Amino acid sequence: MEKTVEKTLVIQRYNPEHDQTPSQQSYQVPFDNSTSVLDALLYIQQSLDPSLAFRWSCRMAICGSCSVMVNGIPKLGCKTFLREYSGDLLLEPLAHFATEKDLVSDMTLFLQHLQAVKPYLIRQEQSAATTPASKPQPHKQTPKQLAKYRKFSSCINCGLCYAACPQFGLNPEFLGPAALTLAQRYNLDSRDQGKAERMPQLNGKNGVWGCTFVGFCSDVCPKHLDPAAAVNQGKVASATDFVIGLFKP
Amino acid sequence: MSEQHPPRRPYHTPLTGSWWLKHRYYRLYMLREATVLPLLFFCGCLIAGFYSLQQGETSWLNWLSFMAQPWVMALNALTLAASLFHAKTFFELFPRVMPLLPAPLMIAGQWLATLAVATLLLLLLGGLL
Amino acid sequence: MNQPKRSDEPIWWALFSAGGVCFAVVVPGLLLTVALLYPLGLLPENTLNYQQVQQWLLKDWWGLAGLALAGAAICLPLFHAMHRIHHGLHDLKLSSGLMGKVICYSSASLLSALALYFWWQGLG
Repeated sequence: MEKTVEKTLVIQRYNPEHDQTPSQQSYQVPFDNSTSVLDALLYIQQSLDPSLAFRWSCRMAICGSCSVMVNGIPKLGCKTFLREYSGDLLLEPLAHFATEKDLVSDMTLFLQHLQAVKPYLIRQEQSAATTPASKPQPHKQTPKQLAKYRKFSSCINCGLCYAACPQFGLNPEFLGPAALTLAQRYNLDSRDQGKAERMPQLNGKNGVWGCTFVGFCSDVCPKHLDPAAAVNQGKVASATDFVIGLFKP
Repeated sequence: MSEQHPPRRPYHTPLTGSWWLKHRYYRLYMLREATVLPLLFFCGCLIAGFYSLQQGETSWLNWLSFMAQPWVMALNALTLAASLFHAKTFFELFPRVMPLLPAPLMIAGQWLATLAVATLLLLLLGGLL
Repeated sequence: MNQPKRSDEPIWWALFSAGGVCFAVVVPGLLLTVALLYPLGLLPENTLNYQQVQQWLLKDWWGLAGLALAGAAICLPLFHAMHRIHHGLHDLKLSSGLMGKVICYSSASLLSALALYFWWQGLG
């Protein structure tokens, strides 16, 4: 059966080798109920224009690579379907980041901010060296302890929350929703002992205090992990740390 | 190692001051932030009220008639609308910042507090207390 | 990596939050009664007469009700408002420096002090 229904995709193009500024290019893409934005991009690249650049990998909302702006809203290409839009679709690279080429964003800042909050389990362990006889023990965790951080643990590093966050757009030094959520996720983990190492980053003006609870980050998060809540719980933690700091020499 | 790559030239447009006009979500955010503008007016009214109260009875009566001027009442009606919009957003954010109880319970509890204060003031100024 | 300097924002955020609670819980009722229903003549006229209000706010309980009212309806809401204006100026790219911050919080402090001064004067 022939696909007859087509949709117009307007895509922002930018080639650093010869363009001074980005421009827009339209493509007609056949679609049905199951055609995602990523499917449409792959169709364009394979059948219409092999020069189109974009990132993708898993096609199932796990890898977080295919982030683009669809009609001005940050979306995962694989989780967004053409059927959801009545008119044309405007695809642009993620807002607030620099564009490398076409729909490919420069995620360097994002990765630096993630790294700054040490998003991994930190243990203050010396016992292994002093008592070589004892085997390393697994770190047990009760369901209740797991529930404390679990809702903040499913981040796929897609960067949609940064494209939704005007504070990151206004101040690229702001650590941003995903990094601050990850910090909160590890600070709440009963196996972690690294909170003291993370707090100085959160306490700064580019840490949790760069946030004004716009809240759009939580709206666009494809994993629904409410980064705005995590960042603002971080404010409570930082304020507590501030008060404790007053009584410490 | 020998392959020559063209130099990177990322393109970046910084945000302009009008970024918040682009989406409904951002406009609602700005509306929430702007609720403090009429609030400032009402705070000014109350400071004037405290001033006139310590000045004497004539001054106090002048303040009461100032509060009854149509433009003052119109601005204060706007402030009431702003305070209720602020309350709605604030009450919904609170359980996300401090998740102490189930969110609907916390939101209802906060509205109850607002209602209790209004009822108390109504009874007091209605001469019923 | 360099450790960032600790922000003094917790102080302003605490005042902002307390003021936000007052703005949401205390201010609506006050606006409804004092600023709308009373001027419209829908409440008995004598409840806001000079002697009565003096009694409530400045005489009973050493004037603590007046202090509570000044704090909950003037001072804390002022800090709430000036905090949002300070961040709003940054959002609108009108100011991001120390200047805006100093102006915002010092005006909130001065107006609060003024309200408390009038309350204090009224006690005597």
